[in-house]
Amino acid sequence: MYYIDLAVTGLSFGCMYAMMAVGLTLVYGLLRILHVAHAAVFALGAYLTVIVANATGSIGLGFLAAIAVTPLFGMAIYRLLYEPLLSYRPDVPMIASVGLLVLMQDAFRIAFGEQGVTFKNNIYAFRIYDIAGVRVNAVQVAIVVCAIAVFIGLHLFTTRTRIGIAWRATVSRPKIAASFGVDAIKVRYLNFAIGSALAALAGGLIGLLNNLVDPAIGYVVSYKALAIIVLGGLGSVRGTLIASVVLGMVEAYGTIFIGSWLNRDAIAFLALIALLMIRPQGFTGARAT
Amino acid sequence: MWHQLSKASGLARTALVGLIGFLAFALVAANPANAEIKIGFQAPLTGFAATDGKSAKIAADMAIEEINAAGGEIGQKLQLIPYDDQAKSDQAIFTANKLIGEDGVKLVVNASYSASGRAAAPVFQKAGVVMISAYGVHPDITRAGDLMFRLVHLGPPQGRAAALFIGKDLKLKKTSTITMDNDYGQATMDGFLGAAPQYGIEVLNKYSYSLTDRQFGSIVASVKRDNPDGVYATGYFFTGGPLVAQLRGGGVTAPIIGSQAFDSQKFIDIAGPASEGTYIVDSFDRARNDTALQRFFAEFTKRAGYPPENVAAISYSAVMLMADAIKRAGSADPAKVRDALAATKNYQLLTGELIGFNKLHEVIQTISVNTIKDGKMKFFAKLGDLEAFAPPEK
Amino acid sequence: MSAYEVSLLSVIGLNVILAVSLNMISGFCGQISLGHGAFYGAGAYAAALTMIATRNFSLSLVCATAVGALAGIVVGFASLRVRSDFLAVTTIGVNFLFTGFVRKQAWLGGEMGISGIPASGFGGNGNMFMILLFAGATIALSLYINWSWMGFAFRAVSEDEDAAATLGINAGAYKLAAFGIGTALAGLAGGLYAFFTQFITADTFDFIFSVLLMAMVVIGGIGSTFGVVVAAIALTLLPEAIRFVNDYRLLVFGGLLVLVIRLVPGGLAGLARRLTAPAAKP
Repeated sequence: MYYIDLAVTGLSFGCMYAMMAVGLTLVYGLLRILHVAHAAVFALGAYLTVIVANATGSIGLGFLAAIAVTPLFGMAIYRLLYEPLLSYRPDVPMIASVGLLVLMQDAFRIAFGEQGVTFKNNIYAFRIYDIAGVRVNAVQVAIVVCAIAVFIGLHLFTTRTRIGIAWRATVSRPKIAASFGVDAIKVRYLNFAIGSALAALAGGLIGLLNNLVDPAIGYVVSYKALAIIVLGGLGSVRGTLIASVVLGMVEAYGTIFIGSWLNRDAIAFLALIALLMIRPQGFTGARAT
Repeated sequence: MWHQLSKASGLARTALVGLIGFLAFALVAANPANAEIKIGFQAPLTGFAATDGKSAKIAADMAIEEINAAGGEIGQKLQLIPYDDQAKSDQAIFTANKLIGEDGVKLVVNASYSASGRAAAPVFQKAGVVMISAYGVHPDITRAGDLMFRLVHLGPPQGRAAALFIGKDLKLKKTSTITMDNDYGQATMDGFLGAAPQYGIEVLNKYSYSLTDRQFGSIVASVKRDNPDGVYATGYFFTGGPLVAQLRGGGVTAPIIGSQAFDSQKFIDIAGPASEGTYIVDSFDRARNDTALQRFFAEFTKRAGYPPENVAAISYSAVMLMADAIKRAGSADPAKVRDALAATKNYQLLTGELIGFNKLHEVIQTISVNTIKDGKMKFFAKLGDLEAFAPPEK
Repeated sequence: MSAYEVSLLSVIGLNVILAVSLNMISGFCGQISLGHGAFYGAGAYAAALTMIATRNFSLSLVCATAVGALAGIVVGFASLRVRSDFLAVTTIGVNFLFTGFVRKQAWLGGEMGISGIPASGFGGNGNMFMILLFAGATIALSLYINWSWMGFAFRAVSEDEDAAATLGINAGAYKLAAFGIGTALAGLAGGLYAFFTQFITADTFDFIFSVLLMAMVVIGGIGSTFGVVVAAIALTLLPEAIRFVNDYRLLVFGGLLVLVIRLVPGGLAGLARRLTAPAAKP
């Protein structure tokens, strides 16, 4: 029972991480940029969800607002920050991204307060389901369901729709795709839009799960998501999902055993560094060198 | 682009040196001298502890205004000189030096976390400055010297009081403990673990988490497996809130007892219905029939937008006590103020009655326990067994 | 000289050593390190433990420098394996591993940190002079390296490793050298810091601090010793001079970092060069 409980915990961590990280891997796959500021997009999504939900009384509206607005923010980051820096070495946009993240986290603190914002009427986090002795709350279920939906949706999108296929083509063979008339710029905007919307969804769900959105909410994402996309193989959506769930499990079981000599956050980094040294291509093979 | 030779021309370099010169001048352009009594104030106005820093600052400002509205002390008005120490030790030392060197301050209230208090205390002691630590709990703070005072119970006595409460009042035997990994959380838990056997408490398992954790799935699963009579956890409201919500969500029905920093309306907001029945040891009795307290409560809530918690109350009281000591000493001279503080007897703090200070300038005071009933903080019990959680004498 | 001015100058000196040493690694040799704080911390802890054990000030500083160098070389090996932005990620990881590990080890003080580090014996003023002396030496070393063959090799490795190889430059060796020297200096700064505050905790050496150091390097002009020195001094003084900056420190520094990279990637030094373009030597 105990080990099942831990597994359920690991699964819900994993799905959380997966939704946070997928936007990051999409950007990397397309532009080879480590979009560290993705965590700020995530945090913005969380804040928008809770503020709109509290203002309108509807959590659903909160999510809608977040999913509608954050893609604009994500696309703006691309247009204003990354596009002009594409010709430089890859660490240049990355450092800019780090600067943006630091700035945004402080901006959230200033704008929305240090204490953070709680949902006024969070029915979901306290609705508990008992499934064969394992207790989960409605938000955890939603996270797992959304993660599955997102990944199936992405898969279908990139294999069954014109836009999706064009997108996938641009990621793997930009020049050939261009010669087929695919507009690379539009694909980039689409990329950021989708990645940001997913981050917003993840942000709203985490905010709902914890019943608290505070300036530190992006903290976990920023560093762990980086570790995850490397472990999963950069640019690989499937790899990201696998790596996320694996990391979630490692954390769930690991904190009990390793927690005495290493801080939980450091575990992800330990795995990351170990992997980068042994197999820079990650689990599924995209290149880091 | 990155690698052109960096020989900036002479003109540009002069301009840049001029820039530095201007900056240096700007900061040395000293504050004009005035005849007010300066009270230095350190609080984490930015950084991870900004929540508490903001509360402390608002409360301190309120205290200063009230004192000055009543005419100040010994014929002079009081002036608060606040600095942001970000709850970090290096910033605490830096701002302490500023207060001493730049502002010429002789009396300070440190309304920050233990890391700050511990770092600043030796600096102030050496400079002959009296410091009251409003809520920093690390033992080293008062050990720095005789000019140091602390207005809150130390971590270990708080933990011992929790053991007393859990063992004698709640009569729980088997407990699982959850410690927050920082000096506050650990010091408090150490006190509990040390005193637990004395009250017949058996600690089944010990767990810990870090300041940034909000998801406690593994701990919840482990506690469920332990099946204890009670759970004792140390932490702040932003960790305790999610923790309690998840413990209840996971099916843990045993009573949960939290540490002082859970004591905030925000804790109830976050944990929602799960907060019901949680006990908080060394909490702030908000409903006490005391006009000063009720007035403070109303005014603070108006200014801050949220009701005051322990940090706000104790910061307010720290400033008030400092002013009171100045009055009793008849002077703002640090040595005299120190003596007046040490001689304090039966002074009413917002957080309860300060019976006095012991030799190490630690408080002798009873400890209250709150519980959450119908979504509100309610007073539950007062622990009067002063011996049981007496602070150290050295 | 007031205690405040002494401590301000000490902090400026420390930041100059840190920024200039980071510039050697990331500017001269192009290896982006976002974990410089970890080496600073390693030096501080090494000095603290050595001083408590032996009461020997010089030995403590030597240990601090040595530990910094060793740690740097180990991390430097990572730079041989992965490319620039992943190296950056690795260095972030190193920073987190350092603080995460130190927090949990009782012998390193854990969450409580190490307090009561015995004084250096030189007093506050003496410490300050020592720090400023080392800062000056660091600047001199940086300028010397820049003008020497090593500097040339660093630049070659930074711009094009393969082309550098054709010149007989062993890229790997020079990368390790850059890391080793840069982190040794960071370790030294850490040792000096331990005596300055006599109390250290892990959170001083966190990732955010490393980002601030990188901000100093970028804003100063990555690769330019003078630019970086000016930026280090200015960014240390800015929060002191302007209250707004102090309260919104991360906002301002993050914002400056973004603006500089986006608009003036050459930093202050690049700006200075541009302003005086006709007169500047190529």
